[in-house]
Amino acid sequence: MTSANGKAIDRRAFLAGTAAFAALGLSGMGRAAAQEFSIGQAAVAATPDGPLRWLDTGDQKALFFKAFFEQYKKARGIDVVYDALPWAEVATVVPLAVRNGTAHDAFVLPLGMPPAFAVSEGWVQPLDDLIPDIETWKAGFPAGTFLEGLNVFDGKTYGLTYTSNRFTSAHVLYNRKYLNDAGFDPEATPLNWDTFREAARKVTENGAGRAYGFILGGAQVNRWGDTVRTLAQMAGGASGDTSIATGIDFRTGEVVYASDAFVGAVELLLALKADGSVFPGDLGINAPQARAMMPQGVAGIILQGPWNIPQWESQNPDFDFGVGPPPAPAGQAPGHVIVGSVGSVANSMFINAKAKNPLFAADVFHYLGTEQGQIEWGNVVGPADAPVFPSAATGSKMSDRSKAALAMLQDVVRVGPNPFARNPRLAEVAKLYKEPTPNLAQTVQGLFSGQISGVKEQLTALTSATNMALDAAFKSAKDAGFEVSRDDFVFANWQPERDYLEADYKAL
Amino acid sequence: MAQTFTAHAVFLDRVWTHWKEYLFLVPGMLIFGTFIIYPMLASQYYSLLQWTGFDSNQVFIGFDNYVALLGDSFFWDAFLRSFVFTAITVPAQLLISLIIAIVLNDRLLRLSALFRTLIFLPVVTPVAVIGIVMAIMLSPFNGPVNIALLDAGFVTRALDFLGDPNLVLPTLAAIYVWKWTGVTMVYWLAALQTVPRELFEAARLDGVRGWQVAVFIILPMIMPFAIVITLISAISALNVFPLIQAMTQGGPFFASEVMEVFIFRTAFAPGGGAVPQLGYASAAGVFFGVAIMVLTILQIVATRHLRSVERSRAV
Repeated sequence: MTSANGKAIDRRAFLAGTAAFAALGLSGMGRAAAQEFSIGQAAVAATPDGPLRWLDTGDQKALFFKAFFEQYKKARGIDVVYDALPWAEVATVVPLAVRNGTAHDAFVLPLGMPPAFAVSEGWVQPLDDLIPDIETWKAGFPAGTFLEGLNVFDGKTYGLTYTSNRFTSAHVLYNRKYLNDAGFDPEATPLNWDTFREAARKVTENGAGRAYGFILGGAQVNRWGDTVRTLAQMAGGASGDTSIATGIDFRTGEVVYASDAFVGAVELLLALKADGSVFPGDLGINAPQARAMMPQGVAGIILQGPWNIPQWESQNPDFDFGVGPPPAPAGQAPGHVIVGSVGSVANSMFINAKAKNPLFAADVFHYLGTEQGQIEWGNVVGPADAPVFPSAATGSKMSDRSKAALAMLQDVVRVGPNPFARNPRLAEVAKLYKEPTPNLAQTVQGLFSGQISGVKEQLTALTSATNMALDAAFKSAKDAGFEVSRDDFVFANWQPERDYLEADYKAL
Repeated sequence: MAQTFTAHAVFLDRVWTHWKEYLFLVPGMLIFGTFIIYPMLASQYYSLLQWTGFDSNQVFIGFDNYVALLGDSFFWDAFLRSFVFTAITVPAQLLISLIIAIVLNDRLLRLSALFRTLIFLPVVTPVAVIGIVMAIMLSPFNGPVNIALLDAGFVTRALDFLGDPNLVLPTLAAIYVWKWTGVTMVYWLAALQTVPRELFEAARLDGVRGWQVAVFIILPMIMPFAIVITLISAISALNVFPLIQAMTQGGPFFASEVMEVFIFRTAFAPGGGAVPQLGYASAAGVFFGVAIMVLTILQIVATRHLRSVERSRAV
């Protein structure tokens, strides 16, 4: 039996793909097993009350924590139960566990939940009484990591933000041979929207049915939103990425989904499809599947995050790939990817208000917030969840390509205003906000699949629906007595070319 | 009043007399109450609230969630899609499994136990595994199914089974039928054991052979079971969440979103960003449950009516 392109069915590719997970784990575990962690002495003596229970979303973090906790147990004389759950399960498990009093000592919050939620609901406790000399400890973090309204409330510090938020999930990762054969070298000359499309077309032409220019993982809906938002931001469509502030241009406080930048980004993806450059069946595979297919040579370019790098380097050492910034339109200065915080709020760990072992949890927090702890984190996890200390990234043992990718992201990504830092009461609005269906990601997926049409029309409708939903949520919150306003989204002193830091909030 | 008291006394007397039997019922009833009755009642209560499910702020809003559902086109699309999915899968599953069961019921057939096992294997295979394997099998890029179709000349270009909005639901239906035919086959096999062997012998003596045995002997005898098996299969088809969530998550662009996926998306907002709406999702769940119950009752009423008509004709 032969394939449509004359190629026999590649069982090796099949087996390689299915073995990717196991091999990934093994290689990551290798790095973790080799790491000696500088656990040292506990800052505060404590007696265990049962095991220390820790919950996060695993992936590369699991590689670190499983190895770390093995050594931590022996060093501190406490048993540790580490649980890793996917985001969908965290969203169900954590609220239920908090309600019935069985929550872990330390946990991540459900995705999209502002920390102000958890604080106002009494889920979590501050670190100030648990970490000695906390101000000195906090001073070691990059400027802007701790912000009133973000992870500091009424002067008290909640949550450990230990991984960097200075990344995008949609930068260029490419098959070097395919792109070079097509006449492109994105590391020397970053791709713009035109050359990105042209390169994809050339790779498809050269591939003659065996390879395509671009792959995405379109069955995973969020990929469409992340990709379009990143491309739009590179085109100057500076906007937020946090909860109800997603899609808001903080210079005006307006939703900008119908702007030229967003429309252009969607049209670029549709143009790739029209050119025949998109991997067939892209709508039937998710992001991990797309990532696994790249080293098999099925596509020339994927827009994903830096977590691909350690996986490919360990699983597919023969795969020669390059890394580049997200494409920006030709003929204009590239914009910047805007993130809502210096550190990743999604990965932030919080201590349960009713934790049985808060001092041990805080002890681990303290370690992760030291230079050495961050370096050791970087050694194991690499750029997948990069350390929040930039110096730890450069000082770690991650590959040169990983360090180059992180350096590129330092140039591309800027920290924008976070409305929750300005007015924590916006958490009440977020509770009442009903996101329109379809949202941005769903709309783009529908446009790409052809089930809906008219890019400008659909994005205009989305903008209108989003504004209506925001207005309704703000009205309900105001009626309930909370001092909130759409003006909380307006940051007149914001310049997207540079980070928005604490001094900028004070200058408002 | 006196009659009520008497009935009550009779009931208590019965319970006291058969206390051991009732005692054995208690564990099952506790489990049933905990995992069926309580969630059902809780869901009905939550459906009257505006509640994210995260916080303690539960606002009673009466039937506002239901009113909102009536105007939600995505809800109605998912609702309709659930029944379309059931309408596609149940007849196919019943027919295929019946044919297989009739063939395997032949005691002279060699290796029938092996075939039964092979057909039942997909039933015990985890959905996640099926999702991964089927994604590879159905891939328009070097997927074996597309290669076979192209080689046989049935299509001129590869089909995107899971990415084409027109193909995704029938594809999922086919995978569902493949996975669960084994269970229905077991039901039919059990039903076939109730057909007296003497009937087959008598039919053979009368010269009845092959398909005539199936049509004129077997089918009329197992028809009463067909109603129950159909109901069980239909309810199972309406609970297809694991397969669809594993394979397409309701996409592309809601093309395969059935009610359970809609409820999951609304209740837990997978993908992040949006805050969940547990109250609204509960209303959708209650509405869907009531709809299934109404259909079940209608089916029972219709079946009883048909039987009474048949009995009156027989008389």
